[in-house]
Amino acid sequence: MIELSRRTVLGGAASLPFLVRAAQAAAPKDRLVFGLSAYPPNLMPWMNTGTAALTVKTQIYRGLMSFGGNGELQPELAESWERDGKTGWKFHLRNAVFHNGAPVTAADVKWTLEQIIGPTSTAYLRGQLQDIDTIETPDAHTVRIVMKKAFVTLPLLLATPYAPVIAKGATTVHGLPVGCGPYVPVSLEQGVGIKLVAFDKYYKPGLPKLKQLHMVAYADENARVAALQSGDVDMIEYVPWQSMAAIAADHALSLSTVNGPFMALAFNGSTGPFKDVRLRLAVAHAIKREDIVKAAFYGRGEPLETLPIPKDSPFFDPTYAHAWRYDPDLAKKLMAQAGVAKGFACTLLSTAQYSMHQATAEVVQQNLAEIGIQVKLDLPDWATRVAMGNRGQYQFCVQGETTDDNDPDGLSAYIDGSLPANNARSFALPTPRINALLEAGRAEFDQAKRRAIYDKLQQVATEVEVPMVSLCWRQQGYAMKRDVVGFYNLPGGLNFYSGYSLEDVSFS
Amino acid sequence: MVWVLKRVGVAVLLVAIVVSIVCLAIRLVPGDPATLLLSQGGVAPDPAAVAQLRHQLGLDQPLLVQYLASLRGILHGDLGQSLQDGSSVAGQILQRLPRTLELIGVAAVLALATGLPSGLAAGLRPGGLFDRAAGLAAALGQAVPVFVVGTGLVLIFAQTLRWLPAGGYVSFAEDPVRNMELVAMPAVTIAFGLFSVVFRMTRASVLDIARRDFVRAARAKGLARRHLLLRHVLRNALVPVVTVVALNLGTLLGGTVLVEYVFNYPGLSGMLVQAVDARDYPEVQGIVLVISVLFVSLNLAVELIYAALDPRVRRA
Repeated sequence: MIELSRRTVLGGAASLPFLVRAAQAAAPKDRLVFGLSAYPPNLMPWMNTGTAALTVKTQIYRGLMSFGGNGELQPELAESWERDGKTGWKFHLRNAVFHNGAPVTAADVKWTLEQIIGPTSTAYLRGQLQDIDTIETPDAHTVRIVMKKAFVTLPLLLATPYAPVIAKGATTVHGLPVGCGPYVPVSLEQGVGIKLVAFDKYYKPGLPKLKQLHMVAYADENARVAALQSGDVDMIEYVPWQSMAAIAADHALSLSTVNGPFMALAFNGSTGPFKDVRLRLAVAHAIKREDIVKAAFYGRGEPLETLPIPKDSPFFDPTYAHAWRYDPDLAKKLMAQAGVAKGFACTLLSTAQYSMHQATAEVVQQNLAEIGIQVKLDLPDWATRVAMGNRGQYQFCVQGETTDDNDPDGLSAYIDGSLPANNARSFALPTPRINALLEAGRAEFDQAKRRAIYDKLQQVATEVEVPMVSLCWRQQGYAMKRDVVGFYNLPGGLNFYSGYSLEDVSFS
Repeated sequence: MVWVLKRVGVAVLLVAIVVSIVCLAIRLVPGDPATLLLSQGGVAPDPAAVAQLRHQLGLDQPLLVQYLASLRGILHGDLGQSLQDGSSVAGQILQRLPRTLELIGVAAVLALATGLPSGLAAGLRPGGLFDRAAGLAAALGQAVPVFVVGTGLVLIFAQTLRWLPAGGYVSFAEDPVRNMELVAMPAVTIAFGLFSVVFRMTRASVLDIARRDFVRAARAKGLARRHLLLRHVLRNALVPVVTVVALNLGTLLGGTVLVEYVFNYPGLSGMLVQAVDARDYPEVQGIVLVISVLFVSLNLAVELIYAALDPRVRRA
């Protein structure tokens, strides 16, 4: 028996090279194999469950709007939209159908929004959309949303993949609610991958360009890169920084990177040295950000010495571009003013689970030692790190985060100290002026006046209240075989929504 | 019979203790499953949404209530639902366990097929060229970490030669050839380490047995060499080898995580590590329960076989 099976194995092994070659030669050009950065924890439409989940969900579900290649709003289910009264918005729906064949109507949109803001909701936008006052459906193709107060960024929030429209009351398919995206899931194998086929009644004629999309999970970043280099997959997300140079140099592959998420420091405002804004500023001026870009991201990033507003944003104010420039003398002066001219000891919370978080912490430690601040690193696993962040069990901590969109209002989550305690922002650090400016910006529709508000915000945040200290932008990369065309890598805070463009992807 | 019952009783108690410790320990370490799930990708979730999810998952109940509820579930054969997507933990384990068993099984066959004959050959001529060469290979197999071997194989056979896929998994039922292609490299990687154990044990054991009086007597009687080696030397030498291999396989049940990561192989230990990272309590408990039951059963089986073979064990 053993003899037989060994012979079979050996025989099989001997013929493998030929089989593989044959399989590769016959690979159909209407199927893309995509290497995900993880198997999505779940695919519930309105929850945030990470990058890999967003990449899959943007295939299955769609909302009223989305983002185009330059980050501009683009129509999806809503063909057009306009302001309606002082606090209202009107959305005009196109003819579209769900995967179950039912038409997408205003009632589905209303139901969707009610689920997002309802009392039992676990939706990501639950808090941000609480200001919705009424949702009206004058006809099957019109939705009118009235807010409790003027809310300029509503279309942006509805364009994120956190607000897809789901068929009201439909039964689930593969345990998933029914959406209307370009691809329909046909099989899900937990921990392995998800197979999707093109939805033949998708509302954009001619799209998606490919017939099949196979999404395979590669939790280990090196395995993901190896899968691309060996031809197992056509495209991968979340290219590890250490592999970017090799992929860029490979003639068979192409690499697409943009500055996406950013690294920063958050502080504890209730205890410890960083209650004092002068010491937060001293830290801001003591860090050589190029070193972080080099050590943590292999040079694939850009120092960030102000609030994380992209340079090409109309709200970026060059006056403050280097507000937190490296200036150790100024840092020492600030320490002297704060009465700790000789330095002090403190603890920096980060995590050893992600090398970029640890490397960032190590550079900060070294730089601060040069101005006399003795930093002890606390590097628990990520889950513990998040719990400690939420409870404020730190003096200052390393953050790696991304905004919901590229509007400055997207910074609220990280700089508005009036929001409830959260791991993502400084702990118990009141920011009354920032809060007032954000409120004003959210209600202001005049672009010039809005710009003035955010100019002021950049001044207050970098010089007066200092609710965080930015460190650097980091590049976020997708890599693909050279014949894969049509993909666009969305800039800045929108980066993780780049899955929107997979409907345009094909082979040249 | 009483002895057997006592052994079984101890085994059951052992599993119960392991599961209880894990049940409590995973809940006592910091980290909240709901917060972790909703703050993926470095975003700030709405506190009301987190609170609601905690409520839906029963995480707002006291620790003792959660612990007793999971124990009650386990006693009823219900391992509960994943906190991440609500899927059945038992279902997920049933999906993953055969993959791990296949991987370990193929690795064990490869390790035995290479380790036994080379151990026998080396043990018969200690200090010879073959002994030294195989000894070096075994030393490498024990010293070189699996991720180095694995990454090396991927580099050579997947990225350079492109003979095999770099990783992944397809079930045997779906595509037998693809299944074998995908199992080949991870199995060889594990087999390399296991080979060292089999080789060393066989060699030492053969060395010992070959010098015994009964072997000398059999040879003096004029027994054919082949018959002597296979029937008398190897057979007697196998007892300790089987024990050590069984224990090693037990350890591999939850210990193939590095190989699984390198080859993107969706087995049980990778699932355990991800479950711990996500603080998915029911998944962690379920996997640890299954692994400890298998491990304890394996040990129990070895003990019972010993007892059957050697009455002295029963009296001890």
